[in-house]
Amino acid sequence: MATIVDIAVNNSAFSTLVAAVSAANLVDALQSPGPFTVFAPTNDAFAKLPGGTITTLLQNIPQLSRILTYHVAAGRYYKQDLKGQNCLASLEGSPIDLFITEGEFEVNNATVINADISADNGVIHVIDRVILMRPHWFHPIMNNRLVKA
Amino acid sequence: MLTSQLPPSTHPFADIIHRLEQGGSMLPDTEENLMQIIGLYKAYAVPMDFYWRDLLYIAEQVFLDPLPAFKYFLPQEYLDLANHYAGETADLRIWRGYSTAHQELLDFMAKGELKTKIPKLFHHLYHDRINMEFAEECMRAMFWHRNMGGLLEPYMDSEEYKQNADRAIRAYFQGNPIMLGLYRLFPEMFLEQCRQATMYSVLGLFWEVMAPVFFEMSDIYDEGGFKGVPDAMNFLVNGIFAIAGRPIYHRVNIRGEWFDLVPKAKGFTWLYEAAFPYVEAVFYRTSPFRGTKSYNAQAQEVPTDQNDFHYGVLYADKFPVASAGIPPTLLHQDMYHFLPPYLIDYYQKFCRGKDDMLIQLAVSFQRSMYNVTSAVIQAGRAAFLYPLDDPNPRHLLANRAYFEGQLTRFANPKYGMNKAARILAIQSQNYR
Repeated sequence: MATIVDIAVNNSAFSTLVAAVSAANLVDALQSPGPFTVFAPTNDAFAKLPGGTITTLLQNIPQLSRILTYHVAAGRYYKQDLKGQNCLASLEGSPIDLFITEGEFEVNNATVINADISADNGVIHVIDRVILMRPHWFHPIMNNRLVKA
Repeated sequence: MLTSQLPPSTHPFADIIHRLEQGGSMLPDTEENLMQIIGLYKAYAVPMDFYWRDLLYIAEQVFLDPLPAFKYFLPQEYLDLANHYAGETADLRIWRGYSTAHQELLDFMAKGELKTKIPKLFHHLYHDRINMEFAEECMRAMFWHRNMGGLLEPYMDSEEYKQNADRAIRAYFQGNPIMLGLYRLFPEMFLEQCRQATMYSVLGLFWEVMAPVFFEMSDIYDEGGFKGVPDAMNFLVNGIFAIAGRPIYHRVNIRGEWFDLVPKAKGFTWLYEAAFPYVEAVFYRTSPFRGTKSYNAQAQEVPTDQNDFHYGVLYADKFPVASAGIPPTLLHQDMYHFLPPYLIDYYQKFCRGKDDMLIQLAVSFQRSMYNVTSAVIQAGRAAFLYPLDDPNPRHLLANRAYFEGQLTRFANPKYGMNKAARILAIQSQNYR
């Protein structure tokens, strides 16, 4: 079987991701035995970011690698393994929110469009949007119901 | 617009929620509002061009000077410092202009409000200058509130930061046995001063981006480029995304050698470690201002929980108390010097005309900051949630919960926050 990196390199839909991972010097890490769970944004997902976002990140490698490591978790987790969980710790440190039902598989605000691609050193879930760390105040704001006078 | 899939919001600010769901701002889309906010962005950008340069100068060069009497005397080197987001050498060119200090700023620094060229020290003592006290108040708000997200804050408590600070402190006071002796006696105090210097750097790096953003917005408006308030807000949203990954760091120059307190390699970013904490600390919270208005802590007029502080510009009573804190009169005084002509004409038509200009511009500034906050709210929605035209109703409900959650902060009756918030006032053009 191929590694996570091999699978990405051999699929043209991941060329932006591969370029970003190379620029961030994360290729060797993702070639290592791991295992890892990678939420892999497609080229279309990167294209949804407003202009300039990627330019700035490519100029600043530590910042780029922080965003990329947010897309990776330690361990091999298939969709089935994640059912019933509402979050997963990323290598960046912030949690990735999960929403999983029979027909749906979402991580933060991205939808998994192709789940459970097995690799030698882990598993890839393909996502339709680049995910960004949600700050700790995000969930309190989402639950900030009206206070009665 | 697919938001019609949802029933109307029942929130007290339902109209504003619906406007946000349609890609609008908390500020109504009127020509008058657009003119006021852009004019204020321009008037803010010029002093901000001084603020960011001086904040970096203090963070990098003045650092732990125990008697920093000349910290507001910006050396030429920092006036010439190339902004990373303006001019031809920019990393990402936001403003099409130039990268060194703005010409209007230099003209003002030379002659001041007196319009007379006298030694800098006299301009300073006469307070005829850019009021850095306002910038420092914002820095202190960010420093004091803390716990507003991002990784910088835990890092400033880490062993690694303490060691970096220790190296810088020893180098800075090399050959000064008195200060080194005091450091041995009170290490935590010196460390806290380093953290404060780090916040100077954070705010300087934050504003280094905002100044060219505002200059460019003013130029676009002058060219007839913005059709309405949402255009202006979306320019900010795109700017926030473009710059999100800009590094946040702190380095100190000691006798020609650079010492890293917060290395760029830590991966701290403009969005998480500067922008979000800034908006929370400065727009919402800050601290009760010292001036003609008193707060009685025993009568629980001041919240016991810092999360409930509500003394930021979005709640400010635009009353001229002449302080650096909110309502920041000192900032208003700075902006007063750089108003575009169309705003001066506009202010002369209302209230008490020229005599009242400081208050009128303060209210325009409040409108413009409601628009910036709207941009941050929309950027947060785009980054963490869903497009406004998402076909999935569950996603649209999540967007609504987020918008409602944000606006509920202005409806909270605790400590009279709902009365202090100016969100309803800015819906009308008569608030001036």
